[in-house]
Amino acid sequence: MIENEFNRRDFLKVLGWSGAAVAVSGCGFTSVQDGAETVVSYVEANEYMVPGIGVYFNSTCAQCDAGCGISGKVREGRVLKLEGNAASSINRGRLCGLGQAGVQAHYNPDRVTEPRTGKGEKLDWEKALGQVKEKLTGVSGDEIAFLTGNLSGHLKVLLGNYMDALGSKNHYVYDAVAPAVVRAANKKAYGSEMPALRLDKAKVIVSFGADFLGSWVSPVNFSQQYAQFRKGVNNGGRGVLVQIEPKMTLTGANADRWIPANPGTEGVLALGLINALGAAGVSVPSDIAASVSAYGVDRVSKETGVSAEQIQKLATVLKERSPSLVIAGGGAEGYAHGSQNAAAVALLNQVLGNVGKTVEAPSVVPFPQLAPTAGGTTGLKAFNDGLAAGKFKVVFTLGANPVYSAPAFMKLSDNLKKASFKVALTDAIDETAAQADLVLPLDSAMESWGSLVAEYQADDAQIGIQQPLMERLYDNTRSAGDILLSLVKQQKADDYKAFEDYYAYLRGAVVQAKGALGGAGMDDDEFWNTVLSNGIVKTGNASSSLRASAAAVALPAAVAADSAFPLRLLPYVQPSFRDGRHANLPWLQESPDPLTTIVWDSWVEMHPRTAAKLGVVEGDIVEVASKSGSIKAQAYIFPGIHPDAVSVPFGNGHTTLGRYANGVGANVFQMLDPVFDQETGELAINETHVKISKVGQRVIVIKDEGAAGGSQAGKKIAGRVASNKIDLSKEV
Amino acid sequence: MRHILRLSILLIGLFASSASFSADTLPPVNTADDLGPQVDQPIEFPHNRHAKDMGINCMYCHTYARRAPVAGIPPLQKCMGCHNGIESVKDKPRIKELFKHWEEKKPIAWKKVHDLPDYVRFNHERHVKRFIVQQDKPVQEVCGYCHGDVKEGTVARRQKPLSMGWCVSCHEKAHPTDKTAQATAQGPNDCWQCHK
Ligand code: SF4
Repeated sequence: MIENEFNRRDFLKVLGWSGAAVAVSGCGFTSVQDGAETVVSYVEANEYMVPGIGVYFNSTCAQCDAGCGISGKVREGRVLKLEGNAASSINRGRLCGLGQAGVQAHYNPDRVTEPRTGKGEKLDWEKALGQVKEKLTGVSGDEIAFLTGNLSGHLKVLLGNYMDALGSKNHYVYDAVAPAVVRAANKKAYGSEMPALRLDKAKVIVSFGADFLGSWVSPVNFSQQYAQFRKGVNNGGRGVLVQIEPKMTLTGANADRWIPANPGTEGVLALGLINALGAAGVSVPSDIAASVSAYGVDRVSKETGVSAEQIQKLATVLKERSPSLVIAGGGAEGYAHGSQNAAAVALLNQVLGNVGKTVEAPSVVPFPQLAPTAGGTTGLKAFNDGLAAGKFKVVFTLGANPVYSAPAFMKLSDNLKKASFKVALTDAIDETAAQADLVLPLDSAMESWGSLVAEYQADDAQIGIQQPLMERLYDNTRSAGDILLSLVKQQKADDYKAFEDYYAYLRGAVVQAKGALGGAGMDDDEFWNTVLSNGIVKTGNASSSLRASAAAVALPAAVAADSAFPLRLLPYVQPSFRDGRHANLPWLQESPDPLTTIVWDSWVEMHPRTAAKLGVVEGDIVEVASKSGSIKAQAYIFPGIHPDAVSVPFGNGHTTLGRYANGVGANVFQMLDPVFDQETGELAINETHVKISKVGQRVIVIKDEGAAGGSQAGKKIAGRVASNKIDLSKEV
Repeated sequence: MRHILRLSILLIGLFASSASFSADTLPPVNTADDLGPQVDQPIEFPHNRHAKDMGINCMYCHTYARRAPVAGIPPLQKCMGCHNGIESVKDKPRIKELFKHWEEKKPIAWKKVHDLPDYVRFNHERHVKRFIVQQDKPVQEVCGYCHGDVKEGTVARRQKPLSMGWCVSCHEKAHPTDKTAQATAQGPNDCWQCHK
């Protein structure tokens, strides 16, 4: 080696290159590093394992609850990249950015790798589970609580059995950004919480704040339907999308018309449209007609801030282009009268005759015990109330991070201290696990067995099967299923002794039902292998039907604004962050928000007029303060928001989630006001009123582009016409 | 004195190598610089014994070369396939070591001696297809373009520079497209063929 070095130097000198030695060696041979790395061969290799060539295994995405099928590329025993599973009727071979980042959740360097106590002492599994058993002795079922995110499939069954064995009824399901109010309203109006929405069959879609292309319910499924709708595949012409929401979402940005109605007046607008449709000759049942007669165009225009002309045009479009589809989403439901808003939108659907045409009965898996339990914030509230009352001694958390996402007014972090033993089943030390007395580290979704039934299934009901795409990265993590199985064995050893691990349990359960799952006539192994190779099991649909029960909706009078807090806070559910559980994935931090293109931070979005009034320019650090709390973040001036509102994305502002999340941005959950939907009791996330003040600092906003509708680099790429100059009815 | 001598040898090497650039032959000759350092391996694998004495085809062991980007190191299972039946060498230290790994089911951590930087992709399959399948050249010669005369060595040692210029020097030449064809073609020269 040394000899060669000498030769080399001489060589360069001879050629007059000696001064450039560094540069030459930088692109020369020195980057070939002999002997620096190892190459480990297999001891025994499977036929299909060829080094350098990927093998694909099907599984199910666990990044959100939509239940898309995934297909993971595995090379040399490591999962490298995820694609969509084409056989899945939910996503048909596609995947969203959040789903892609599943690989990073797996390789994340901040995963918890060993069971540990609250003080950080490492334990082995026997001791850890022994501790749980010990702490449960002498504790009554009422004193035990289990808080989880949405659950479905066999994990849900197992948890149910565990809670039964403990004699506890305190399983709370919590989802911080769930469409819980819309679910309840749908149940009332259609008899189904999540009917199948046939975007592809509609000629016009009016969405009241449903960001179905970004973060709402099953975005990959909706995006594909949307493409059909725009191409006019099933409806004979390009579909027209109108989005009504005070804060522009990805769906709003794709709409033909984005209408920023005054926040909270979605219901008024829907009833106004019914009234206008009635006047235009659409048949409206007389009791409904009577109940909306007060919503004349002038009044509606005044309350919603949408011009009378625009309302008329909307009514005309809806009348002329049938079938249509109107959807109520997060933008409409987050109010004290969210239920009424959602009901008004459902009523509009009924008046338009869409039920049965574009609102169809959902596909339902015919195994009710596996059906998802979909929660909202009422689950959290009940859990918190129990904690506050000192009812719980032992609490478990799984798939939920309430210390981060519960608003400060709930005082959840303090209340949690009243429970004497807190067990967190988690893959990272999030804010809740940081308070736990025992942390049980979970396998990543790429390492564990599971089954998942999606809440929203448009057609072809299926169970998603999750299978490990590679060996565990860390020896001492376990899947949620394995942990629950061990726990339930502590209580009922005999019932479960046939199942060595969760894999055996899952396989047993699926194979047992093979007759009903299309495997009649196959032997067990053959059937199970087919299931794994497909990554999903088609179950056939249970019969389900919709009823259209049109009932009048009474909206409350608008509440007068509070002059101390003049602006409304509209928290934004960002497509890649949702409730913030994945903020520790750098790919997600790094991918620009679709509208503002901001990365690695939170922002306070405000209308140029509002900003001018407050003397705020882009990059000013502003304090957003409500009655319940405050945050500081950079200002971003954006015309896609109502002038009376500001918007801050959910998801950032973590303190313990790991190197990529800690200290990035602000946590807007904490400052929400205690206002609840009056019918369902769900937290009304759009009911927080705030004031803005400048802090006196200014930063450069890190983003990919200028404000939407900005200078277009002087290139006049898209012509600009003021929105009130466009005649929507002519345009369509 | 020795120093000067070495320098002159080098210069001769240099001329010889530039000559090879103009003459359309494969492969460029070695210079002292091309020879990689000696790398200690967990087991000193004698390539000469296998490739020369026994005449085993390179791709009998490096079987992935013809169907994957990497040639791969054979799984232990493959070594055992033969050595289980070769009584005569069973108690040699290297073979004992091999059996030990096999019995413990412990993979061998070989040291890479042909380790390109991470931003370079070399595809074995395409080269094997071109030269061995289409042009019907002898396997050892083709592997030798990049790996040198393996049958003469014991533990693998880098014989060629494997630098970009060296790769390009070959890609710039016209090669017959198959054994009988008159038509010739060059290797690709687009950056992204190797730098993806
Ligand atoms: S929508 Fe949800 S389930 Fe589907 S790919 Fe995205 S994160 Fe995964």
